[in-house]
Amino acid sequence: MKRSLPILPLAKRITTSAFVLFLTVSFLFVLVRIAPGDPSQKFISPNLSPKLVEKVKTSFQLDKQIHVQYLSFVKNAATGNLGVSYAFHRPVVEVIFDVLPFTILFAVSAFALQLIAGLLLAVFAFHHNQKIWDKLLSRGSMFLYAVPSFVSGLLFIYVFSVQLKIFPSSGIKTVGTLESSFFLLLVDYTKHLFLPVLVLSLTGLPVYFKYFRENFEENQKKLFTLYLRANGVSERKILLSHLIPNSLNSIIAYAGVDLGILFSGALITEVIFSLPGMGRLTINAILGHDYPLIVGCTLTAGILIIFTSLLADLIRLNIDKRLIKGLLN
Amino acid sequence: MLLASYLGLLFSDYRTALDQFSLNMADYFCSLFLIIAIPVFLYFKRKKLPTLKTFSFLHYSVTVIFYIFLFAPVITNDNFDFQKDISVTRLLPPFSSIHALHLKSDTKKPGRLNDFLSLKRNVVKNSFDDKIVFYDSLRQNKSNVVCFQNGLLISLPLSSIDLLNGKPKISMRHFVLGSDEFGRDIFNRIIYGTRISLLIGFCAVILSLIIGVVLGFLAGFSGGVTDVLLSRLTDLFLSFPIIFFIILILAFFGNSFISVIVVLGFSGWMSLFRIVKGEILSLKTKDYFITAQQLGLSGTKLLLREALPVIAVPVIVNTVFQFGNVVLSESALSFLGLGIGNDFPSWGAMINSGQEYLAQAWWMIFFPGFAIVLTLITVNDLGRKLAHQFNPRMHA
Amino acid sequence: MTVPRKNISLFLSILFSLFIGCKNNSTTSSSQVVIAIPSDVERINPLFSYSINEANINELLFLSLVKHTWNRQAGEVKTEPMFATSWEWNLDSSAIMLQLRDDVQWSDGVPLSINDVIFSFDVYSDPVVESYLYGSFKCFYTDKEEHIISSKTFEKLSETKLKINFKPGSTPTLFNLDFPIVPKHIFDKMPRTEIATAEESFAPVTSGPFNLEKWEKNQAVIIKENPTSFLHKDGNIKRIIFKVIPDYNARLAQLKNGEIDLAEYLKPEDVSQLKNSGSFVVTSLKGREYDYLGWNNLDPILYKKSGKIVPNKLFGSVKTRQALSMAINRNEVLSQYLRGYGAVANSPISPIFKNAVDDKLPPYSFDLAKARTLLEEEGWSDKDQNGILEKEGIEFKFTLTISSNNPRRIFAATVFKNNFRQLGIDMKIDQVELGMLIDRINNKSVDAWMASWIIPIPLDLKFSWYSNLITTPMNFPSYQNKELDALLDNLETKITGQQKNDSYKKVEAILYRDQPVTFLYWIDNVVAYNKKLKNIEVTPLGTVHHCWLWQ
Repeated sequence: MKRSLPILPLAKRITTSAFVLFLTVSFLFVLVRIAPGDPSQKFISPNLSPKLVEKVKTSFQLDKQIHVQYLSFVKNAATGNLGVSYAFHRPVVEVIFDVLPFTILFAVSAFALQLIAGLLLAVFAFHHNQKIWDKLLSRGSMFLYAVPSFVSGLLFIYVFSVQLKIFPSSGIKTVGTLESSFFLLLVDYTKHLFLPVLVLSLTGLPVYFKYFRENFEENQKKLFTLYLRANGVSERKILLSHLIPNSLNSIIAYAGVDLGILFSGALITEVIFSLPGMGRLTINAILGHDYPLIVGCTLTAGILIIFTSLLADLIRLNIDKRLIKGLLN
Repeated sequence: MLLASYLGLLFSDYRTALDQFSLNMADYFCSLFLIIAIPVFLYFKRKKLPTLKTFSFLHYSVTVIFYIFLFAPVITNDNFDFQKDISVTRLLPPFSSIHALHLKSDTKKPGRLNDFLSLKRNVVKNSFDDKIVFYDSLRQNKSNVVCFQNGLLISLPLSSIDLLNGKPKISMRHFVLGSDEFGRDIFNRIIYGTRISLLIGFCAVILSLIIGVVLGFLAGFSGGVTDVLLSRLTDLFLSFPIIFFIILILAFFGNSFISVIVVLGFSGWMSLFRIVKGEILSLKTKDYFITAQQLGLSGTKLLLREALPVIAVPVIVNTVFQFGNVVLSESALSFLGLGIGNDFPSWGAMINSGQEYLAQAWWMIFFPGFAIVLTLITVNDLGRKLAHQFNPRMHA
Repeated sequence: MTVPRKNISLFLSILFSLFIGCKNNSTTSSSQVVIAIPSDVERINPLFSYSINEANINELLFLSLVKHTWNRQAGEVKTEPMFATSWEWNLDSSAIMLQLRDDVQWSDGVPLSINDVIFSFDVYSDPVVESYLYGSFKCFYTDKEEHIISSKTFEKLSETKLKINFKPGSTPTLFNLDFPIVPKHIFDKMPRTEIATAEESFAPVTSGPFNLEKWEKNQAVIIKENPTSFLHKDGNIKRIIFKVIPDYNARLAQLKNGEIDLAEYLKPEDVSQLKNSGSFVVTSLKGREYDYLGWNNLDPILYKKSGKIVPNKLFGSVKTRQALSMAINRNEVLSQYLRGYGAVANSPISPIFKNAVDDKLPPYSFDLAKARTLLEEEGWSDKDQNGILEKEGIEFKFTLTISSNNPRRIFAATVFKNNFRQLGIDMKIDQVELGMLIDRINNKSVDAWMASWIIPIPLDLKFSWYSNLITTPMNFPSYQNKELDALLDNLETKITGQQKNDSYKKVEAILYRDQPVTFLYWIDNVVAYNKKLKNIEVTPLGTVHHCWLWQ
């Protein structure tokens, strides 16, 4: 089997996505500037002269025409310079890179948890096909699917942080533990991130469970399973080396998009547990009228989403060459 | 009774009657009308109805939610904003009751209008009532009644109090699901919150439906450039976490009842668009369609006649799911403080305010949360059942 | 392979500590304080201390010429020496002679000198720099852009003696000299426009009683004692950690379990819990901030259209505003939300200024009957009996705009809404994001709003109550009164003592009578700190203040 990557369709895909992204960002750039509200307002205080407000506006380049601002933005963005955040007084790129490692860690752990737990539960349910466990799990997943994260998050905080006092309710680490060992730090992080990761993965878990469960069911009815079973291949082997890989295939496309969205920030969870992630950064930028940061966050989110769905496609390609043609659409 | 009185007033003094008309009252009339009309209607149509045995959890919950939606004023018979004597009534746990002392009401003035007004006050409740006083404990001496309100003392002359056999008239007010930080009844607010959630859901979904179907038809019909443009637009909407756009629009352009509906409506049309477009494209390749076209029948007319029934099923199913999404989004927005404002109670906003009292009052979060979960389960279930019924092979 | 014994026991002890108590690993040491701040500082550069946390931290890291303390008895501020050891005004107070220290060094070893002082005045007032104090050097000789002209202003008498000449006719005070001195040798190296984004804003060269130890973005700012500082004293606090905790409940929880030692802006309803635990000192900073209901005294639509000043249909009349002030149950908010940590406000003159305030004014009390009478006199009555007052065909309906992130104001608005409803006034509440609210108030496009003022020390009323709407953009309610203007002008001249206090009382009487806004209540900043901390003085000037004295 030839192992060459289908460069042309992939390139085409990337270009389209990049173009869509460019349009979105441009649209946003104009939108935030024509919208009411003014970023210089936050600098008003009794001690300040109104002249300073004008100065601030000038330094934000807000006194210029929109198209002038836009052109200079595009020019700068091409060289990787997204401007300086109004609120942080630092380059947008730096601000975003400050929160990105945490966001990725947070998103990947929640993603891994929901994927693995979803798979294991689906296997479990499949084993108990149509028995009480299976029904219970599918009912339970339907219930879980309907619980918004701000409900589950707050209830968890109430039970685990307020009543039982097992887990901290916010932040990512205990500040003050400066000279502690790596191991202690790890434990500290884990304790802080346990509840948020759990809450974040609970919303995705039922989806994966359902996906896997239904795929198993479907594939089981297919001829090749019957054939394998007739040939005396063990159930365990069928599951491990046929049913699961076959199901993975269709899930990866969904998972790619899902991970991308997680990367761009799990807004509600971050708000509830006051975590320093992309979601909260974005919403604070929006509420603080921090135009360069809004645009920067959107751009980052867009790039991450394109990247993950591309990654998903590549993995799928390696699993199944037949899909190359499907990608073209 | 109120209706009769109002009608009387309407005939006798048309102008005043119009001034008296308010939405709350209309709401009350409608609820009253429906509560009588529906059983009557059901009675006449009883043969066509499914028997009780086929009723499942889903039927029950759909019925209950609709019932609440329609009859909110009749169920609670209280203003959702009612508050009084916060010191005594705030943050009460579920199933608590509070004593209320009744003050003498103003002497009635005669006249049709005043009769009507006093009746109206009894039916359409206000958010205040200066004729009652809540208290923890009470002491009565010769000329005064002293109420204790959480450390505060209020002394009232006996002459101002409504007496019953020489004793002050006392009633109990029950807070079935507890009260919030203003001493407002959580049960009432959840009931009225149902209306807001469902109303926003209906309106936003209808908006999405119109946009999705119209654009879908457009893309499917004309193909070519329009199709490409619209498809790219859909990609654009689908490729980003839409919640940020919603927040941005609401934060920059202001949030209100209408803007929430519009924004949610505009952010949910993509899947409908794809379904409609897909169905129409597949229809165009069908043999009978091509034959009909060759026979000289108008393509547009044909498409409309043929396409509508075909797309109806997936569109309805999708709409139901979309409805669930909107209900969820609305409560999430309200939770973030970007909902419809605080003129009306909303589940998400209730949870948001409960967040501050998390350690003291779990009921402020639990019950509205339960309402959201119940609604979402019901809607998702309904969607799944519908999909199954129309097309057993389709996966929802 | 053998494992050293010591390591095993270490490992075990780590495991042990893991399961027994991971609560606080190193914050227990008594020489360090952990202070909660709700958001991270943006930069550590005294030129740009836009937020209160930045100002607090900068005050500890950078010396000023003088410092100010609060005299509780007199209700006044008192000036004390810092980098300047003594000073002397000339006879007509148009110039001041400062004696400076010669024993202070920047954290990089360069001595802090008279040149840094002169440079600081220059750079703070330079329009290019956009410092937070730009525009506030009106007492000095400045050019058209309000940039201080150094040659006219400063006279170097010796290396430790500085003479500052003020603009004739101005009334300078020592407050004009109280700001952190910045290092000349650092900021002189770069173009002035780049100071705002300079690397040194994140790794500052400092001169104060504390130095920056570490700044973990979005986590904590850690400062440690500067043993070479003349303010340093053995036995006092050695290290201060400003820990960023955005969420209020988390701040409270961490205060309770000892992860942080001091927190401000606590909710009054949490006080009893803290007091009962016995390990905290709960105190409050009174009289710096008041909430008010703002009434737009002029018609917003006509003003926007033509700039014409026409009284507002609803709030243009004094009697209506008085009635509105009587229609609200302020005491319910005071007792139920502020829980005693607040006091009814009569005017913008805080009760902390004991000599300037008239403590005999009776507050407008909750009196619906009286309010109803006043409104009737103004022509408002409910003729059609639909529950809403009307006058000349207009119903008494308005929208109160508040910011969506302030629970206290949401609470108060909800209570007031019901109060007004009882009187027959229909008030809608519009919660908007803070920036938008400020925008609307500035444009004078809202009818009514609720906001707060943090009052400046020393007392200054002209910036928000003077009639000229162009030069006084902070006169948000657009209240205009010639009599008040005359009094405010008079207060800017060199009157002192009893005369000045009498003028303040007259100002108060006018504002109290006319209720240009409904003054609601003074809000206490509730502060709780661990009992192990000693020598903390919470004054109207602040809590995190003069921390080098803490023990």
